[in-house]
Amino acid sequence: MRFSSTPHREWSLFRALGVLILSLFVTAGCASMPDPTDAEAVAEFEEINDPGEPANRAVFEFNRGLDTVIVKPAAGMYRHIIPPPVREGIHNALNNLRSPVVFFNDILQGEFGRAGTTLMRFVINSTIGVLGLGDPATDFGFEYHNEDFGQTLATWGVDEGPYIMLPIFGPSNPRDAVGLVVDFISDPLNWWATNTDREFITYSRSGTRAVDGRARNYDVLEDLERSSLDFYAAIRSLYRQRRIDEISNGKSSAIMPAPGLSDEPILPGPRRSPDEISISQ
Amino acid sequence: MNLRVLALSAALFVVAGLSVPVVRADPASEASVFIETLAEDTVRALTVGEVPRSERISRFRVLFNDHFAVEAMAKWVLGRHWRRADAPERAEYLRLFVDYIVASFVDRFAEYAGEKLHITKAIADDGISATVFSEIRLPGGSKTPARVNWRLDGVVGDFKIVDVVVEGVSMSTTMRSDFGSIIRREGGKLAGLLAVLRKKTETLRTAN
Repeated sequence: MRFSSTPHREWSLFRALGVLILSLFVTAGCASMPDPTDAEAVAEFEEINDPGEPANRAVFEFNRGLDTVIVKPAAGMYRHIIPPPVREGIHNALNNLRSPVVFFNDILQGEFGRAGTTLMRFVINSTIGVLGLGDPATDFGFEYHNEDFGQTLATWGVDEGPYIMLPIFGPSNPRDAVGLVVDFISDPLNWWATNTDREFITYSRSGTRAVDGRARNYDVLEDLERSSLDFYAAIRSLYRQRRIDEISNGKSSAIMPAPGLSDEPILPGPRRSPDEISISQ
Repeated sequence: MNLRVLALSAALFVVAGLSVPVVRADPASEASVFIETLAEDTVRALTVGEVPRSERISRFRVLFNDHFAVEAMAKWVLGRHWRRADAPERAEYLRLFVDYIVASFVDRFAEYAGEKLHITKAIADDGISATVFSEIRLPGGSKTPARVNWRLDGVVGDFKIVDVVVEGVSMSTTMRSDFGSIIRREGGKLAGLLAVLRKKTETLRTAN
């Protein structure tokens, strides 16, 4: 693999982000520790696992500002102007372009059946699907699934680590942030764009992905923002739950803690189910 | 099938007499029927005709109180803070909890209610709790339908929903984080959460 082909400009961006995050954590300080004698408060603190909460909240506000000014209006316009079939085509094409990264991670996770599905999808959709704009592969029984290096690390047993709100990229953690970088540098389209001085392709693709993703989640986010008491905490919970779901390939909910009918409040703890599935978190 | 369920079904049969046409003793399929029926009731209550929002809210409140384990959910969402609360606080919290859920989910349920709910499977655990797995094709959504799992507690004939999990995101877990964060911000005081809930519920009710 040609890791060295990653353009200098992107590395500088990652480094600048790193410095920004670090300085924020230094200036904003850490979340206040609970009373060590209160076992339940300590358990709650560990469950939340967000030691840099004040800094994370600052970054979250920055991201929301960015969203309000740029991303949300762009996504709103995109939804308003572009008809649904065209948007679906763009979404399909973006998914198709991601195939090499998904395939790579399928293999790294030892999911050879799923890797085969990804490969078949890429072949069918790039040809019959006309450059990935259509998705005939799904009709042939090859359904889309996503993978990324953060998920791969999780299946290898790497812990997510503390919650981190990344500027621009949003909710994350050390594991998924590493995954983000690895996915970026392992994407053949990015190598090609860099080696042929066509970085604009990388940027326009990232921009389109951002708008597509925001547009697809428009109503859900609107709803959550409207109904949550603390939008930051709701997003944090949502991100973690979605990641667990993605890592387990949608099989996690069977072991999630849930309220029961007994009189005492139920403490978090898995409820057993017949087809219990073990996941790495 | 286990003996407890069999005994219970038999008891139900005797109690209900001949008005029970079929005794389905399998808790998993009973759970599926429970969700299917609820989906049909919801469609009837929320989408038929031009129902004004205030009326939809009151109909949804009835459905929610009847089919969800409201108190168990409310307690679990509050966690350890429930035990520290006194009786008047608990009473107000329970009332606000219902108001809040009804006001925040009524529009979503009304929107979903028009879509076909397809039950993919159901599993039961000892006949006291069950999960019904379903798929809903969301309006304007892609080819892949949304996975919605219904987690039930109770016994056959008396199931209650304790959680709804959409694409891996649990309604109860998300609320637990959300409410917990407010309580921490308010210095561990439940009164702080109640004030925020009161305000939020009012905003949500008058919205749209």
